[in-house]
Amino acid sequence: MQKIQNDKIKESVYIETLDNGMKIMVIPKPNTDKKYIIWGTKFGSIDNHFIEPKTGKEIKVPDGVAHYLEHKMFEQENGVDSLYKLMSLGLDANAYTTNDHTAYLFGGTKNFYEGLDELMNYVQHPYFTDQNVEKERGIIGQEIGRYDDEPAWKLYTNLMDCLYANNPVKQDIAGTVESISHITKETLYDCYNTFYHPSNMTMCISGNFEPEKIVEEVKKRLLPKEKIGEIKRIYPEKEYTINKKINEQNMEVNIPLLMIGYRDILENEDNIMKQIAIEIILNSLIGKSSKLYQKLYTEGLLMGPLEFYDEFADEYSHVVIGGQSENPERINEEIVKVLKTEKVTAEDFERNKKALYGEYISEYDDVETIGRNFLQDSMKGINCLDYIDAFNKITLDYVNKIQENLFKEEMSALSIVRKEK
Amino acid sequence: MQITKLQSNKFKTNLVALFITVPLTKENCTKNALLTSVLRRGTNNLKTQEEISKRLEELYGAGFNCGVDKLGNYHVLKFYLETLENTYTLNNENLLQEGINLLLDIVFNPLVENNGFNKVYVEQEKLNLQKLIESRKDNKALYAKERCLESMFADESYSLYKYGSVEDLVNINETNLYAYYKELLKNCKIDLYVTGNNIDNIKVPEISSKNLPQIENLHVAPEKPSIVNESQDVTQGKLIIGLDVGNSDKAVVSMYNTILGGGANSKLFQNVREKASLAYSAGSSYIRRKNVILIQTGIEIENYDKAVKIIEEQLQDIKNGKISDEEFNSAKQLIISSIELIEESKEDMITFYFDQNLFEENLNVTEYKEMIKNVTKEDVIKVAQKVKEDTIYFLTNKAK
Repeated sequence: MQKIQNDKIKESVYIETLDNGMKIMVIPKPNTDKKYIIWGTKFGSIDNHFIEPKTGKEIKVPDGVAHYLEHKMFEQENGVDSLYKLMSLGLDANAYTTNDHTAYLFGGTKNFYEGLDELMNYVQHPYFTDQNVEKERGIIGQEIGRYDDEPAWKLYTNLMDCLYANNPVKQDIAGTVESISHITKETLYDCYNTFYHPSNMTMCISGNFEPEKIVEEVKKRLLPKEKIGEIKRIYPEKEYTINKKINEQNMEVNIPLLMIGYRDILENEDNIMKQIAIEIILNSLIGKSSKLYQKLYTEGLLMGPLEFYDEFADEYSHVVIGGQSENPERINEEIVKVLKTEKVTAEDFERNKKALYGEYISEYDDVETIGRNFLQDSMKGINCLDYIDAFNKITLDYVNKIQENLFKEEMSALSIVRKEK
Repeated sequence: MQITKLQSNKFKTNLVALFITVPLTKENCTKNALLTSVLRRGTNNLKTQEEISKRLEELYGAGFNCGVDKLGNYHVLKFYLETLENTYTLNNENLLQEGINLLLDIVFNPLVENNGFNKVYVEQEKLNLQKLIESRKDNKALYAKERCLESMFADESYSLYKYGSVEDLVNINETNLYAYYKELLKNCKIDLYVTGNNIDNIKVPEISSKNLPQIENLHVAPEKPSIVNESQDVTQGKLIIGLDVGNSDKAVVSMYNTILGGGANSKLFQNVREKASLAYSAGSSYIRRKNVILIQTGIEIENYDKAVKIIEEQLQDIKNGKISDEEFNSAKQLIISSIELIEESKEDMITFYFDQNLFEENLNVTEYKEMIKNVTKEDVIKVAQKVKEDTIYFLTNKAK
């Protein structure tokens, strides 16, 4: 078992890779009563085209299948719903699907091992029938309907449509009512057998644990599985331009919503360093303490700070900036201009680096955030603890270089949701 | 000012919360909301928002947040500041004390000019608050819940929107808001909560605070439930049913609520979602300080009658004592777990103890857990007899 210790944050992570390829990460937190576990598979909404390792068969599945599969995992052959069972143990259990992974989790103060029994049992025992797959269609249909009424969700999907022409990241994670109508139990089994193999899965555990002991407990509950070869995922060709500049939709919102996106096509950059640089750039130039924010706030064009973050996986990478304004076009113009022409000062750099450092350490406040962050980063091939070292390495020159190469006007797009005029 | 220190070694950060509490009234509601936004604009030391933001960044990205909330028949102005524990700083800085000083500076030392707040700040915040009030319809699910409550409590101050109203906003200016602020500080309850590992040595000046009278809940449910329909541009209908639970024992009502709609084991989740596939979300929440349970679900418009019928069947089932041991035990387990999690979150800890203090129950987490443990099935069935359907609210589409 590998131990990585960090003296600045006073935390350690223990990493074990099992013979079957599954990775387990344990982050001990001796003072907390809450325990948290999250088990993820690198299978998200973008993985809709692949070659099954065993048969070599090329398979194309309808949009929304990863999410549909997540819903159906809870149902067991003996009629037990595992979500129900975990909750009766007093555990807060859930699951979620993103663009690049699916995860099953629970947390709570007691009955951890009973919960572990149930979690590892249901995730390893799929039970799909024509009937139970059919039953789920109505529920997921309502879930999709709920998103359709969410202006903020529409805003985001429309922006993805601007940034990408063919990349599957632009599809709704849950798919559409039409696409899910093609999902059958066979589709679900094909995906399960390919992506729910231990070699494609990672488990993160945080709480008052002895790392060796908990890893043994997990191993005891793992079913033997034949080794499979590498899963070959097929994605559309990488895109190096944006799809369209602007997307505007009418919905009943009082103040227009806007979201600006930048496609990031930089290659061979260290993802962690790049991420820190992006946050320093955006905090300094358009964040709460920036001149631009003060100006737009004073003019009444912004009512609150802009939100921004970057999202990336092997197949996509972009930066998103969102807000609400009576004049979205003007906000877009100002932001694009500032990111193109202004530079981060040495003072901004130091201050925001310190702020990010503090925010980063505070993410180790509770076991749930720890578990989620380690899993999400691990799915992207990142080790969370590396962030701290990156803070020591990063320089203003590097930040300036990233700004110049990433925030190019021609790589930006704008999504707006507003009332019909 | 009452200072409560909640010591805990579970976290890497300190959370400091300052609450200003007054009875909720139409006269003051809008002023309270505006005041919170004006205070965060500048102090006599840090005159602009930009300076405050920079100061927060210098304090290792300390998080500052403020807002207003309705809690029972009170209106609470809330100010939060979260800092890193001193031990994680690079030069052994006293972030906790610096953070407390900044928080107090924002609340008690606002930028004052000519015996009023800064005129520009007040005008801008008035405009922002107006937009905020006007855009509440944007969050359909929340809007529907609040509208149901407003209709239930139409003749009480609880029907006020927590951010107030545009009509009341018009008459506020920098001078009368400042006069109100000075008056408010003389007549409100002020509490400071500090959580963290090393919190003994904080320095806080004396600030006077008043004890508030308890305000009784007087609402009586109508004989037959009121039906309220509202239409908007939605594809999914939001069905909210308000239940009046009266002044029953709160631990028992908590159990009732969890059996009915708390989580995946509940009657609503199982019957509305799992069996009938009518909804993605179906559940209920207990607003304990108003003696109300809100049932909430999002459904296809044409399934309205079906959904209401299934929900009413669940209410009737509990009344008839149809609660399986499994349902009962898992509900109890769920509440107990959630109580055990209170001390795992700084904010939940503060919220819990502040609520206990304000409503003079003064239970600690362990005592509260014991009360839940002692609830029996018979208690729940007895309380169920007193539960009345009060209001059925439906946010539907315009075609209707």
